[in-house]
Amino acid sequence: MVKFKGKPFLEIFVSSLQEDYRLPLLEFFAFLYTLGTFALANISIVSEEQSVYGLVSSLMGVPVLIFMILVFKNIAYGLGGDLEKGTIQTLFSYPLKRYAIFLAKILSAVGVALLVLFGIQVFALVVLAPAMILPYLSTVMTTYLASLSYPLLLASVILLVTLIVRKGGLAIVIGIAMFFASTIFQSLATFITLATRSPLPLQMLSVVNPSVTLQYHYRNLSVPAENLGTEIIWAPTSTEVLAYMGIAYLLVFAVLLLSYYFFSRRMNL
Amino acid sequence: MSLIGPNGAGKTTTIKIILGLLRPDSGEVKVFGQCPWDNPDIRTLVGVVYEKVYFPTHQTTLDYLKRVCRIFGVSEDRALEVLKLVDLEGAYDRPIKALSAGMLQKFGIAHALVHKPRLLVADEMTSNLDPQARSSLLDLVVELRKNEGVTFLLSSHILPELSRVCDSVAIISYGKVLASGNLVELYDKFTARVLRVSTDNPETLAQAITSLSYVEAVDRDSRGITVKVAEGAEKKLYKDAPSLANKVEAKVLGIESGSASLEELYRLVVTKSGGG
Repeated sequence: MVKFKGKPFLEIFVSSLQEDYRLPLLEFFAFLYTLGTFALANISIVSEEQSVYGLVSSLMGVPVLIFMILVFKNIAYGLGGDLEKGTIQTLFSYPLKRYAIFLAKILSAVGVALLVLFGIQVFALVVLAPAMILPYLSTVMTTYLASLSYPLLLASVILLVTLIVRKGGLAIVIGIAMFFASTIFQSLATFITLATRSPLPLQMLSVVNPSVTLQYHYRNLSVPAENLGTEIIWAPTSTEVLAYMGIAYLLVFAVLLLSYYFFSRRMNL
Repeated sequence: MSLIGPNGAGKTTTIKIILGLLRPDSGEVKVFGQCPWDNPDIRTLVGVVYEKVYFPTHQTTLDYLKRVCRIFGVSEDRALEVLKLVDLEGAYDRPIKALSAGMLQKFGIAHALVHKPRLLVADEMTSNLDPQARSSLLDLVVELRKNEGVTFLLSSHILPELSRVCDSVAIISYGKVLASGNLVELYDKFTARVLRVSTDNPETLAQAITSLSYVEAVDRDSRGITVKVAEGAEKKLYKDAPSLANKVEAKVLGIESGSASLEELYRLVVTKSGGG
């Protein structure tokens, strides 16, 4: 058997990058990230953990939304388009294992978008609040990880649906529906929690979206009590936050694994 | 070798299994001694041309082929070489999305030849090409076979083209091989005792001829009937066909033997098996 000497994986990765981030798309999204990050970074000197969380959360808001748009587009129209049109068959004529093609596509669609988001955010924080980053690094990282787990879960689901139905448009509709469903569920879960005084609905939501746990970790969910004080309904501890985050990322990993398995072992073209 | 059969016969499925795009429901396929599903390394030996070719659209033809050269670890000079081979050197700086259907098909062929494959698998390779381009492509196939020793596995509906470049065929229908082997041997086997009756009314005459006891198979087209007769019955048909034609108000324009085309061979095999 002739052994090839090239670097097929890198070539497919670079080719995917060229297709996913055509000029000036990436630049435009990066500009939006920057605008979203710096415009929201109305920095005052924060020296409390809770304020650091509040700052990073607000920094993440708009850029995460832009991140989701970019990633959903890359998966649904990039990979989905390749499947629909048949470009993937061309990639399968190269001497690469299926996992390598999968990895190249995912790294291009999600990895690079994530890198750009983090790059700009960390740069903004270093520039605007250098004194905050080091003392509260774990808080900053926890906030990032918690905020990104649900978008990543949505991206994984869109990926799986795209691979199964081979129609990027349908996958993106499902992703958007899931995104809005989460917002509605959060309002609903908060309402039920307040009405029943049981944190169970919010805990259930936290399994897929641990930023909810983090939110109530820093701002306890409480209601006025009969004795004019307040009754705390849910005040998750740091360990709980980490536990919910772990479960959420396990879910992301499971859906990605399922997608990988489907792509590499089950998908007939 | 060519793969021929009616629509839905399984030609594309067979090709996809050979290329490792589909897993066979049962049985085993080996390409250069390896299972194509699990061994992508064999793709260094195999080139592919699909009926509809798709490539990442925003790169130029030369840039993309250079990338393919790097993937296969061959010199980047090969990119321009294969573009010249298919008369596309003038479009080296064109984005792939700006190519016409015919040019894209040629580009697909150039893409398949980049790494000098030992086997080239092509599914309806000429489907988007004009007659002149088809002819030069077939010449290229003959040249590559002769000079580079490339083996071709071609699937096409344009049978005269296949007979020009192939010396063996596999005729398949509903996933089964009805006949396969060297073309000369297949002609001997299936077109012996085959006569071609040219007529102005093939439908009516075909019905009448079917009733003759020594007729084994009848196939008709718009200009005549292909008839397979029992051993030693050729002369009988020469005698009976005109009289039968008179009875059914048809006119026999001519009867000839031993001139079956690949198309007729194909139709005989498929008709005999009850397929198509």
